[in-house]
Amino acid sequence: MSLLTVRRLSKRFGGIAANREISFEVAAGELVGIIGPNGAGKSTLFECISGFYAPDAGEVELEGTRLTGLSPDLVCRRGVARTFQKLRPFQGMTVAENVMVGALTRTRDVRHAREQAHEWLRRVGLLEKANAHARTLSTGQRKRLELARALATGPRLLLLDEVTGGVDQRSIPALVELVRELHAGGLTLLLIEHNMRVVTAVAQRIIALHLGEVIADGAPSAVARSPKVVEAYLGQAYVA
Amino acid sequence: MRVVNFAHGEFLMLGMYAAFWAFTLLHADPYLTLVIAVPLFLAVGWASYALIMRPVVHTSHNVQVFTTVGLSIVLQNLALVLWTADARFVRTSYYASVISFGGAVLNLAQAVAFVLAVAATAALFAFMRFSYTGKLMRATAQDRSAAMLMGIDTGRIYALTWSVGIACVGAAGVLLAPIYPVYPTAGLQFVLIAYIAVVLGGLGDMAGALVAALIIATVEVVGSYTIGTSWKEVLYLLLFIAILVVRPAGLFGQRGSETLGV
Amino acid sequence: MKAYAPALAFFAAAGLAPLVVDDAFLLDTLVLILVWGCAAGAWNIAGGYAGQISLGHSAFFGLGAYAAALCGVRWNISPWYGVAIGAAVATAAGTVIGFLANRLRGPYFVIATIAVSQVLLLGAARWRGFTAGSEGIPVPFRAGFWTLGIADKRIWVWIVLGLALAVYLSQLYLERSRRGFQLAAVREDEDAALSLGVRARRLKVAAIAASAAFTAVCGALWAQYVGFVDPLYVFSVDLSVRFSLAAIIGGLGTALGPFLGSLLVTTVETWLRAEFGGLGSHLVGLYLILYGSALILMVRYAPQGLMGFFYRR
Repeated sequence: MSLLTVRRLSKRFGGIAANREISFEVAAGELVGIIGPNGAGKSTLFECISGFYAPDAGEVELEGTRLTGLSPDLVCRRGVARTFQKLRPFQGMTVAENVMVGALTRTRDVRHAREQAHEWLRRVGLLEKANAHARTLSTGQRKRLELARALATGPRLLLLDEVTGGVDQRSIPALVELVRELHAGGLTLLLIEHNMRVVTAVAQRIIALHLGEVIADGAPSAVARSPKVVEAYLGQAYVA
Repeated sequence: MRVVNFAHGEFLMLGMYAAFWAFTLLHADPYLTLVIAVPLFLAVGWASYALIMRPVVHTSHNVQVFTTVGLSIVLQNLALVLWTADARFVRTSYYASVISFGGAVLNLAQAVAFVLAVAATAALFAFMRFSYTGKLMRATAQDRSAAMLMGIDTGRIYALTWSVGIACVGAAGVLLAPIYPVYPTAGLQFVLIAYIAVVLGGLGDMAGALVAALIIATVEVVGSYTIGTSWKEVLYLLLFIAILVVRPAGLFGQRGSETLGV
Repeated sequence: MKAYAPALAFFAAAGLAPLVVDDAFLLDTLVLILVWGCAAGAWNIAGGYAGQISLGHSAFFGLGAYAAALCGVRWNISPWYGVAIGAAVATAAGTVIGFLANRLRGPYFVIATIAVSQVLLLGAARWRGFTAGSEGIPVPFRAGFWTLGIADKRIWVWIVLGLALAVYLSQLYLERSRRGFQLAAVREDEDAALSLGVRARRLKVAAIAASAAFTAVCGALWAQYVGFVDPLYVFSVDLSVRFSLAAIIGGLGTALGPFLGSLLVTTVETWLRAEFGGLGSHLVGLYLILYGSALILMVRYAPQGLMGFFYRR
């Protein structure tokens, strides 16, 4: 059984159909990239899966258990974590405290949560900033913080929304390496990405969206060559 | 502007006092004072915006709430210290006159206030809808960043919006002075109804607020006939709370707008 | 341990004062400082720690006050029951308001809380049959601890000090417990908190309900101390604003802040009242003009309040 099943997911906003009958499955341990032009419905898809929007039609299931229409906190507790495209650190708290909030969803003990937070910060390379205030971090560091925070909730599926967005070129490889490590550790990942180099580097599979519909779903090389994808998104120059 | 002014009632109270002092010292009829009150309160609005609101226009809602709450405290107590807590009355010669309308008998001052209020609302609505400045105000309200990119001086628009609001409520105070007693805390009872009308009608919807105000008034009057005058306010307050539970965006507001805060 | 020095000093001073001070006026001021400090602290639980700013907390205070008064006047039972009943009813009311908090944000929630307190004010003022209407209820004084009829102000100081410690420790709990961290996250960014599995809605309601309960206990004790419950005062918006004023001036979201704020506000107020009561009573408004201005300035430029002087964050 696949880990995540999305079946005919649809969501409208007034006259706009942001998601149209989207269906796909993600197997446990897969790393799937989601690409598409702006307005294709990628973020809406994430919002529907993570519970911030209730879809108008269709289902989302995690290993057979229903996720559709559940509140975001319940979705998280079932094992799905996410990061946000527009970063949302808890500004008034320290870096460690930020991650603790995630850890406290899995453990009741504050001391234990603190230890776990430090461990996750070490994994993402932010340990020396543990006691700094979240608002003093650079964009790249904030991305790592969001990552650590989401990971602290112990998810089985992680939704990453443009994790390299706004990060300077030098820092991207390290971030990509981190994603690879997490994947190697057994985590199932769904990535929204605009950076094609990043996607093709890590994704085992790519799903392309356009105007709310899935227009391609398969291996990166195949998707990159699909005429529909080229026309809608990549442009001719990308056909390898 | 997306700011709730908790000192709104205090500006109303100042309008009432303006009418009172003009009447007592200059023997000016309140309707005459009204003519002067509008530009006067526009100026007061402009000053209060520059002094107090401008620094907090871009801060969090909580800061704005307490800034206007603080302003409310200052104004109330300024009135208290200057003019004491004694209730004052504007007893014009026509204070008790009534006019007959169909089968109903209306207090003249109240009737005039009603007519002028509706006229002012209509004028304001037309201004917002059809004038260029009105369009600027609505654009800024919808998306401040976009408005700035369009070259709109949002700071001045906010100052203008605020000042117009103050001018309206100051004028309302002048109109109410012949009807109600004037004392430092007079603002609260009126402003609570105003807030309720705005939230009930749907945030940002002027026509909605008017409709809501009429609904409240109807509930109040019907209530006082059926249940008794002492319970009428409770009635519309409970109605308010009930509607908030069922449809927090208000009767005409966009669903979900209330959870965006402002 | 050093971080707690101011708090220790405050509570120690309050606790020892009755042993050295004899003057009734000073002791009275101390009782009021503690009562308003508790009320501000209770408000702080919802407003400071949960980020749910309300200007309707007088609703809970009044419920507690009336519960205590009615126990004495109507049902002839110990006002300690009033404390419990008031807390229970307030908790229910707080849960309702918490429900509203999940549907409204920011200033619109504030307006709703004001509406609720005014409903109670009008209800209490008009329901002659139950609450003796707008004349208020004089609370009977029956000597004895069980009936909370205590003439000795020193004992009152210790009773209220007990409550103050409870409120203070509850706030401390919110600073270091699991719930507290989660609540802080909700306060900072509710959606981000939800995405991390925090039960935001439930926590907000719980915080408001707890805040309500504590406020009601304050009201009940205050009613017994002062001896008279006037609905126009006890449910007033002024009173609600006063709780928030003390908490903000002292330090929003800090455990000691509300008490420091109350210390400042109450001493100035009682002193001014003593000086200007009677003929110049309207001059008492002067200090409120100062506080109103202080509020406007502080909330923008010194949001840490008085506690900001002790701890640079």
